[in-house]
Amino acid sequence: MPENHGGFSRLIPIATLALGCVNAPLYFASPTPILAVTGQNDAMGNPPRIENGLTLQFRNPNQTEQKDLDSQSAALGFAVPWIERAHVHLELTYDVTNTDTKDGTFAIGIDGASEYTKYDENVVAMALGAGNNNAPNFIPLIPVTPQILAAGKTVSGTVREDDFEEGELDLDAMGRWMAPFNAVLINNSQVNPIGLDMVPPNVVIPALIEIDVNFTANAAMSCNYGVRVRDDNDQLLHDSGDTLFSPTPALFQPPAMMATTN
Amino acid sequence: MAALATSWLLWGAAAEAQVTAEPSAIVFPDPAKFARGLYTEGELGAVAFFGPAGRDVAPGFAVGTRVGYDLFRWLAVQAHFLGSTHSVRGDSPQAGQLLQTYQAIAEGKLTIRFGQTSLFAEGGAGLERLSTNVLYTLMLERYRIGFTAGGGGLDYHSLSRHFSVGVRGDYFWLREISGSQDLMVTTYLRYTF
Repeated sequence: MPENHGGFSRLIPIATLALGCVNAPLYFASPTPILAVTGQNDAMGNPPRIENGLTLQFRNPNQTEQKDLDSQSAALGFAVPWIERAHVHLELTYDVTNTDTKDGTFAIGIDGASEYTKYDENVVAMALGAGNNNAPNFIPLIPVTPQILAAGKTVSGTVREDDFEEGELDLDAMGRWMAPFNAVLINNSQVNPIGLDMVPPNVVIPALIEIDVNFTANAAMSCNYGVRVRDDNDQLLHDSGDTLFSPTPALFQPPAMMATTN
Repeated sequence: MAALATSWLLWGAAAEAQVTAEPSAIVFPDPAKFARGLYTEGELGAVAFFGPAGRDVAPGFAVGTRVGYDLFRWLAVQAHFLGSTHSVRGDSPQAGQLLQTYQAIAEGKLTIRFGQTSLFAEGGAGLERLSTNVLYTLMLERYRIGFTAGGGGLDYHSLSRHFSVGVRGDYFWLREISGSQDLMVTTYLRYTF
């Protein structure tokens, strides 16, 4: 029965192609020059900080997609984002190199913006520090645990997709649902959902479209990073004639700053 | 009764009398009995990159297939599809990320048979596509065109008419990936219809 023996060979390319079509990620390199600090404290005695970031470029929804968004928004009673956390998955990988002759400690904090809200830990720290001479208290949207790095060594790390998902929930809670920012940022929502009381259970959470990386160290170090994006619905802008999605997210201001600016 | 009892001896003698010549030498194995024509191959092996991409892409597992047709005993045309998976290496932040390659090649194949075994050479032109743009972030191009510089291998027929197995190596020039190259080495199972 020779006809029964060729099937396996015919299945191989189908399986290979099927695997290849499953949500292949796209990678974005960090802006240049890479983040680098000298390790010398500033005039206020604070360790040096440097920041850069990248904005992901998405296309505008087409007519059908816009119609779906409008109908979803009408059904839910609140705005449904075009760039959803459920369809755009982010991961950041980084390398930090200690170029100094002494050991040092570095910290990375990730901020960013969704299509509704932008969070900047430097702005928040300035607000919290207004009226006192304490060292600024930086609360990033997505923190990376500070690490000690020996002289001349390099360490790699990953800020996973679930870390970004937590940060995206916190940002939306602060921006649209009046959550107390320090409560949601400090607490992991899966462990302690404090501050998320106002967030509707059926909320559609926006994904970050801007990623800002803050880097600080008390020795001469450099930080290089890359961002991986899994774009389920092909919403990233390609060279296909689509137009650029250009939202204008509102900068989050903590209550202290809102009181001073009003 | 006695005639009946010895009749089988007479029958035997008559049969011997029909041999009129020496039997011809048996050709074994006889390649003429091997199936020829449309064939498929499934293959497993590895792909390794060389050149600029070789610094950033680790060797990886490969799976592929060929569909071909024997025009003659010594000449065939075939289509080759191969996928392989790799990880990015080096000291970049992208190190450890996975990357797949997909190759599609139209090939010609020349075969010299030595009984049950044959040697072959093959070559052609094709396309290669990478699953992600990770090489682009490493200052290498993202996609995709190349030409096989050729390859070859050893085939061993199983004597079951349709099946043979073999090993092969092929070389692929990846013009658009900063002039890199890859080498695929696979073992395969062939079925000829």
